[in-house]
Amino acid sequence: MAGTQEKLLEIQNLKQHFNIGKPNEVKAVDGLTFDIYKGETLGLVGESGCGKSTTGRTIIRLYDATDGKVVFKGEDVHGKKNRSQLKSLNRKMQMIFQDPYASLNPRMKVEDIIAEGIDIHGLAKNKEERKQKVVDLLEQVGLNKEHANRYPHEFSGGQRQRIGIARALAVDPEFIIADEPISALDVSIQAQVVNLLKDLQKQHKLTYLFIAHDLSMVKYISDRIGVMYFGNMVELADADELYSNPIHPYTKSLLSAIPLPDPDYERNRRRIAYDPSQHDTSEEPEFREIRPRHWVLCTTKEFEAYKQEFQNKES
Amino acid sequence: MEKILEIKDLKVHFNTFAGTVQAVRGVSLDLYKGETLAIVGESGSGKSVTSKALMGLIPKPPGEIAGGEILFEGKDLAKLTEKEMQNVRGADISMIFQDPMTSLNPTMTIGKQIMEGIIKHRKLGKTEAHKLALELLKLVGIPNPDVRIKQYPHQFSGGMRQRVVIAIALACNPKILIADEPTTALDVTIQAQILDLMKNLQKQVDTSIIFITHDLGVVANVADRVAVMYGGKIVEIGTVDDIFYNPQHPYTWGLISSMPDLDTNEDELYAIPGSPPDLLNPPIGDAFAPRNPFAMKIDLEQEPPMFKVSETHYAATWLLHPDAPKVEPPEAVKKRMKKSPNKKEEN
Repeated sequence: MAGTQEKLLEIQNLKQHFNIGKPNEVKAVDGLTFDIYKGETLGLVGESGCGKSTTGRTIIRLYDATDGKVVFKGEDVHGKKNRSQLKSLNRKMQMIFQDPYASLNPRMKVEDIIAEGIDIHGLAKNKEERKQKVVDLLEQVGLNKEHANRYPHEFSGGQRQRIGIARALAVDPEFIIADEPISALDVSIQAQVVNLLKDLQKQHKLTYLFIAHDLSMVKYISDRIGVMYFGNMVELADADELYSNPIHPYTKSLLSAIPLPDPDYERNRRRIAYDPSQHDTSEEPEFREIRPRHWVLCTTKEFEAYKQEFQNKES
Repeated sequence: MEKILEIKDLKVHFNTFAGTVQAVRGVSLDLYKGETLAIVGESGSGKSVTSKALMGLIPKPPGEIAGGEILFEGKDLAKLTEKEMQNVRGADISMIFQDPMTSLNPTMTIGKQIMEGIIKHRKLGKTEAHKLALELLKLVGIPNPDVRIKQYPHQFSGGMRQRVVIAIALACNPKILIADEPTTALDVTIQAQILDLMKNLQKQVDTSIIFITHDLGVVANVADRVAVMYGGKIVEIGTVDDIFYNPQHPYTWGLISSMPDLDTNEDELYAIPGSPPDLLNPPIGDAFAPRNPFAMKIDLEQEPPMFKVSETHYAATWLLHPDAPKVEPPEAVKKRMKKSPNKKEEN
């Protein structure tokens, strides 16, 4: 799926610090650099507090970046912009939120929730067209037109998440950030929503940034996966490559902690603990490409060691 | 093996303005000494309500235990008064809740919270209780227990708080520990630590655990036996190998195939269609029938009984009836079956 290597989004040295200059300053995201290619799904994983959600929110300009650049189709997302520039940017980038209970306005009808973007961007000429658009969107996400006149509380969690997806699709975006879109849902419903996201991606040629902590689901949906730790990306590779050849000790530890639905595997599982002090601290680590398309955060010394590890593995 | 708890045809109803919700519709279950029994199912399947009934935590009203027995050491827990129940709760049976952020009292030091149960149930003095609390904190792996014991919950991280909750639950050497999604709110790495901790502690204190979760990965890790619940009933029960490598009920098939493992590469993930049944008006026949691609006519008319698959393995589906047609389980399940350790030896 990542056949076309056209860059849709470039993130350069992105930083997002909170409470700057105060004793409780938090460097939530601290110098991220990566690209997102057109049509791919990039998964972002890491434990809570590692900055993965902040990354998503900063990319879409819900936060003003402290430093660094987000370039969407050659245009910087941050920086001074007038209303119309912002509007056109917002149309191309949309977000699906984690909590389907909190992210829909309880006082609005589903029709108005979905059509809010259509109204703001003036995408419908008249009432009939607006209505028709909403019905089309509802059908695309597996709901039907009777649902348009109801309120969010009348729906189950899975259905609400579908409404959230329809709302994101309403303005015909190219890029969608899905921030833990399935973690609040039941197992049987998770699969439905994941399938829906995949189908929509094919139909609309969408690009996803998929933020999650359920690693097996991420592996399934993503083309490439980035692992974050303490505001930094420590490893980035194709999904299969990352799972079969993890290099960074943190990635190894994270992968060894996923419980898999296979009792025999679980009985023999060895958990690897991560010890941040094992790193070489003689210089600032950099993001280096260890194999084609496989990037790791490491120092020069570690870089050589990791390469050696690979050669040993292959021979 | 010795039976420690016996649930017989338990029914729990909730009376609401809209009518009576039949949350648990006849659950029968045995718990053996020293084992871990996992109860899996989606929300609304009745797994949490079943465990709350064991603890006498069903709010009455609107809830009521509409029938059945919970036999523990010759007593029927369903018929105890609140006073009598208080002697059981926390002492013989204790519970670990899902959310470590809300299950601790924010205005009490954690030392006090651990000592509370010890003083009440074990009739110890303050100094002895304090000593025991320190030991418990050490046992659950909290560093610097002498300092930490004087701290408040907000000074702990999520994983550490869950360790405190476990320490409280273990304070009186309970015979049964009910863990209601104890790791759902935690990160994978912390989750793995807590699961390892629970397994080690179980060996040390020899308690039986009822583990409620919807994460099949966690089930595979901790459980000896598994009960699958759907629509307020147990639809399949067996050892962990029975359920993962030889599942019989179409709902179990659906659950297993809707969870990708790291080898899943299919274009489309199997999703169970539709949504869970409305327990205000439970369907006639097999509650899963409307979502079941293998449903037969009889599924819509008559409820299937528990069919015996093996000594340890039972499932409630008409597919196991001798007259039923043979059906092939979905691809993902067949793949899972091939991974069975017994099969590997045969090959």
